[in-house]
Amino acid sequence: MPPLSVPLRSVIGAAAAAFTVLAAAGCDGGAIGANVPQSAGQSFVSSSYTSTFYAIGHRPVAPAVSGTTLTGKHLSLADYKGDTIVLNFWGSWCDPCRAEAPALGALARQLQSRRVRFVGVDIRDEPDSALAFMQNFNIGYPSLNDPNDEIALEFHSTVPPADIPTTLIIDRSGRIAARIFGASTYGQLKGLVDKVAGLTS
Amino acid sequence: MTGLPADGEFREAAPDVARPAGIATAEAPASTGDAGGPGRGTGRPMAARLGPLGWLRWAWRQLTSMRTALILLFLLALASVPGSVLPQEGIDPAAVTQYYQSHPSLAPILNHLSLFSVFAAPWFAAIYLLLFASLAGCVLPRTFRLVGSARQKPPRAPSNLRRLPASASYVTDLAPAAALQKASTLLGGRRFRLSEGDGWVSAEKGYLREVGNLLFHIALLALLISVGLGGIWGYKANRLLIVGQGFANTPTALDVFHPGRLVSPSDLQPFAINLLNFRAEYETSGPELDQPITYDAGLSYTSQPGARTQHYMLKVNHPLVVDSVSVYLIGHGYAPVFKVTDGTGKVRWDGPVPFIPVDQTTLTSEGVIKVPDAEPYQLGFAGVFLPTEVDSGNQLQSAFPAALNPRVSLVAFKGNLGMNSGVPQSVYTLDTKGLSQLPIAARPLAAGQSMKLPDGAGTITYLGYQQWVSLAITYDPGQLPALVSGFTALAGLILSFLVRRRRVFVRAIAAPDGSTEVLVGGLARSDAAGGFETEFAELARQLRAEHDGRQMQATQVGDGTVDETEDPDERERGRLPVPAGSAATVASANADTAPAANPEVLTSREGE
Repeated sequence: MPPLSVPLRSVIGAAAAAFTVLAAAGCDGGAIGANVPQSAGQSFVSSSYTSTFYAIGHRPVAPAVSGTTLTGKHLSLADYKGDTIVLNFWGSWCDPCRAEAPALGALARQLQSRRVRFVGVDIRDEPDSALAFMQNFNIGYPSLNDPNDEIALEFHSTVPPADIPTTLIIDRSGRIAARIFGASTYGQLKGLVDKVAGLTS
Repeated sequence: MTGLPADGEFREAAPDVARPAGIATAEAPASTGDAGGPGRGTGRPMAARLGPLGWLRWAWRQLTSMRTALILLFLLALASVPGSVLPQEGIDPAAVTQYYQSHPSLAPILNHLSLFSVFAAPWFAAIYLLLFASLAGCVLPRTFRLVGSARQKPPRAPSNLRRLPASASYVTDLAPAAALQKASTLLGGRRFRLSEGDGWVSAEKGYLREVGNLLFHIALLALLISVGLGGIWGYKANRLLIVGQGFANTPTALDVFHPGRLVSPSDLQPFAINLLNFRAEYETSGPELDQPITYDAGLSYTSQPGARTQHYMLKVNHPLVVDSVSVYLIGHGYAPVFKVTDGTGKVRWDGPVPFIPVDQTTLTSEGVIKVPDAEPYQLGFAGVFLPTEVDSGNQLQSAFPAALNPRVSLVAFKGNLGMNSGVPQSVYTLDTKGLSQLPIAARPLAAGQSMKLPDGAGTITYLGYQQWVSLAITYDPGQLPALVSGFTALAGLILSFLVRRRRVFVRAIAAPDGSTEVLVGGLARSDAAGGFETEFAELARQLRAEHDGRQMQATQVGDGTVDETEDPDERERGRLPVPAGSAATVASANADTAPAANPEVLTSREGE
């Protein structure tokens, strides 16, 4: 009769290994949603809102992003140093971006005098379509044109946009203080901006 | 098997590697796994006496048996078949979409069975996990036993060497101690591992077999772990890229992204790729008409921001490898270029729109154009792109995959595209719920031609076409470890098959007349590669020469090699004479000496 502990240890070891592999195997479920696979579109477009707030001391420094806007002007985030910046990654083809656009446009106008700057980053888009979007939703703030994802890539090692839309709130010292994935409402966005900018209203 | 009461010892080192000794094939749930334990050999199921622990142990034994492992391995191979026959979501989503269109009733059923993502399917994971558990449960305990076996000293010499499968004897004038001393030196010089006792020398060789066995087992585990690790740290992604456009390896730029459990967006290698040109060539005649000959995608890329720009010609099955990530060319298609002017006269779209092939032989493709910010109405178009349009009455038809006579046929809609609600929809489908079709003849447009929409809704112009490629981006850090493990397993297996473990025993007995009788016995464990008889004969001859012996008698009993897997040919060759030149009398084995499965020989180690 072999000691019982040996097979038991094997069982536990195998179970641990099995869990490791299970974790791996379960990673990419749900690629097909309904009858038509959603893969044909951008799977990273999502309508579910998730936000992350970074406490002071845990805020990564935002990269010094600069580029050309949709209207052909040069824009650098460094020009807004000392202000709170709301950086919104969007596309005119992206349905959740369209849903949150009115809130962004309104809040931008409202906070203009409170040293909060809004900047868009237009990704995977066609400029005529993007300009039509801005006109349609009455977006007054500029958007950087990022057809080759160069600006998105600059956030690679800090807080990469992993969803469309992604909104980053950069504090007055140039550090990323909050991140939102998915469409946000006026209230959600205002709450976070007020918290980062230290506004009370 | 019943004739060998303690067969366990020898069977452990036999090459039927995946079956732990003592477990064998437990047909009935036996309450213990020990040979001779209760329930063994009675042929009666012992279910009545099994507690939950007993059942667990029985199930574990079933799972870790060689037979179960083989069945699971076969199932794994079988389960992989649909993965290569049917289009896979993780590899080529466009092909899946196409399958949905060509098999509208079958596709949802297949999808329900996860047949479009076989390698992520729960049933595939079940087979894989069970196989892993089965192999781990069998290999780990075996590994410990093999380590022990490889370190073991040879057992004491059996008392009657004449009953061994191969034996020889001769008479020498040397004293027993001196004769054994010389035998030790000779065998030791031939790299035998020795153990000595009163009147005997025992020698064993071929431990490399155990090393090979061990290597095989460990490599097998490493292989499975590598595959698992690849799934945890690796990722797969797809991206459709139009000629003239570029993208970076960041989640928002990817159409489909399947990260491993522990992959965060920051882990993605920060390369960027631009598609400079694409060329496809097709057979223009013969039975292979319409079949593609070559695809070439000219890329420029940087491995990270600010790095030097490099160029690469991407072809099918010749991936671009950048920063350990492989980028494969897996598909291509057309992206007609449109310009849409709305009712107010403003340009609302001016660029290519990728269309998805619905027929691979002619590359007839379908796509949609959405213009949500057109005034006064939102506009939507459903289009068919025909690379080589041929006149066939009212049917839209393409005759060839190359764009020899490209035309676009469009159906126009106005109304609500349903995009502002925030619910993501595919950019390749049009939700016509809130739309009304505009009454306009669907006349296929040639490059430069426009279609003016009624109701002052605007104009759409077809300007020409671009081509696009579909890229599969895969990062699998387990690939190299898996490859190395695979080769190591193979090397270990070969080693364990080529090297045989064999024992040689020498006994020296003082005879009454002052001379010494030297007995040499030999035994090969699982002599699959053959040749032990020759080696033994040569050793016996050398020992005799060393001892200056005379009256040599040698016996070879091929049947006696204790190896269940030995092939019949080996047995035929069993009776080998001692090489000519020695003055020995060769005695063929007779039936009486044959039962070499002598308990005394085989269980000799148990006395220790």
